[in-house]
Amino acid sequence: MFKIIANREVGPGIFQLVLNYDQLPQQPEPGHFFNIKVSQNGSDDPLLRRPFSIFDFDAAEKKIEFIYRVVGKGTKILSQLEKGSELDLLGPLGNPFSINEVSGNVHLIGGGMGIAPLYYLAKKLKSSKQSVYLGAANKAELEFFEEKFKGLGVECHLAAMEEKLEIKGSALVLWLNYLEKNTPDYIYTCGPEKMLAAVEKEALKNNIGGELSIEKRMGCGIGVCLSCSCETKAEGQKNKRACVEGPVFGLGEVILSA
Amino acid sequence: MPKKQINKLNKKITKSDLNLAVTMKAQDPQQQKSLDLKNPLITASGTCGNGKELAEFFDINQLGAFTTKGITVEAQSGNKTPRIAETAAGIINSIGLENPGADNFIAEVLPETRKYSLPILANISGYSEQDFITLAEKLEGRAELAGIEINLSCPNIKGGGMIFGTDPEKVYQITKKVRKIYSGYIIVKLTPNITDITETALAAEEAGADAVAMINTLSAMKIDIDQQKPLLANTFGGLSGPAVRPVAVKMVYQTYKKINIPILGLGGVRSGSDLIEFMLAGATAVGIGTVNMIDPTAGLRIIDEIKEYMLSHQIKDLSSIIGAAH
Repeated sequence: MFKIIANREVGPGIFQLVLNYDQLPQQPEPGHFFNIKVSQNGSDDPLLRRPFSIFDFDAAEKKIEFIYRVVGKGTKILSQLEKGSELDLLGPLGNPFSINEVSGNVHLIGGGMGIAPLYYLAKKLKSSKQSVYLGAANKAELEFFEEKFKGLGVECHLAAMEEKLEIKGSALVLWLNYLEKNTPDYIYTCGPEKMLAAVEKEALKNNIGGELSIEKRMGCGIGVCLSCSCETKAEGQKNKRACVEGPVFGLGEVILSA
Repeated sequence: MPKKQINKLNKKITKSDLNLAVTMKAQDPQQQKSLDLKNPLITASGTCGNGKELAEFFDINQLGAFTTKGITVEAQSGNKTPRIAETAAGIINSIGLENPGADNFIAEVLPETRKYSLPILANISGYSEQDFITLAEKLEGRAELAGIEINLSCPNIKGGGMIFGTDPEKVYQITKKVRKIYSGYIIVKLTPNITDITETALAAEEAGADAVAMINTLSAMKIDIDQQKPLLANTFGGLSGPAVRPVAVKMVYQTYKKINIPILGLGGVRSGSDLIEFMLAGATAVGIGTVNMIDPTAGLRIIDEIKEYMLSHQIKDLSSIIGAAH
């Protein structure tokens, strides 16, 4: 079981969930997710678990963190749970980011809640030259993330749709401003599928390799139900499961809806 | 008075006395085929992958039997996503039978199942009568399999599946043709999307099925009120989970007295009590499906809960409660 040690609002409708664990089947890596049972006391509603990517992890303190936005019934219930409550988590699950062979100039591009998995990634990346390009609706949604990334000493660029930060616009447009003058060797991105598709297109056009973490409506999170199948360009094995072969895929590996 | 007396002895029954084994066997002695299960739990097709996914969480040999993900003659990439929607105590899926095709299944999936000691059942689906015949031919004699489950009830493929399952005549024809070819245990999986499920159950029995499975999912849909459009890319899907359980229990109860072959009851089982309810209604074996998607080790917990029930009701042989609610 996991015990809630903090569950607080860190932005408008955005919560930080900090949990203590006794033991984990394996040490989570950046890009892994956990499937959290949000229904309480054996209730059948909501029935399915909710998948959340790891925001931060601390093995020494046996602490695991998630950032989530309240969007529906499940996240609403989650947001109402208090410190000291126990939670049922399944994980770590999925295919994480590959970080070992990545060096040089690395860009991390995150949109909305897609920013969450990039923090633990930035923390674990061995590259000394990292910059993040974050986009959200407004400044209030980004403040928490900005502080965290700056705490890592990572160069941080911000964009918002509703107000001018570095620019007024999306994380994509913000990132494109730096693509030429600070061309990366490798990128990681997470956010809405349309944003991923556009980032992927620009990266591939410029021969930049990288990885993306996709968000798909999942059923089981363990590869049995095939709800989260992603079409691929590969011959033969046409589909890949976001929950097992993903959520992290190489750029160009799955077909994104633009 | 119940037709079958629940086995109550004078001596107090303890955990070591409990017998969870059931035999899926017809009451009619002319029908020879039977399937012995060490307990009544059978994984429902499409909710448990092909074994290895659940085997990462526990030893699946502790279950009664395993049903593999449904296959078709040719590989299928399935429906567009979103393929799943949630509703109160249930899910609506429209996977669309994504599978690698029969030949890949035989070459890659079946050999993998050799490492398990429990009976394996292959679930087969088709778009035409000929598809079922082809699949029966391909699977006939495969030593890995204890039997096949003919899916005449998939609501998620166009021009097939459920269309066959709603017509007793087609159920009879397909079952009869498969029976001629396939010598192993045959279960016919029936759809609840029909006026009277006992008619299709009887048709399956007359055509030589060894058992019927009921129920497949209930035809359903969900509308995204923000987008003001159907949520599933396929518009319609099949409802499963606790929400459908009372419907399934009723259909098992209704069918039990009308047929001589055993019933594999399924629909929304989440606990030992749910499973017991199906057995009391008349199911010899019980499928576990949606629950595996939430708790991969649910099967083990359910077995423990059955034992608790047997102890508290002093039932030595679990099979003694089959149909006891009648």
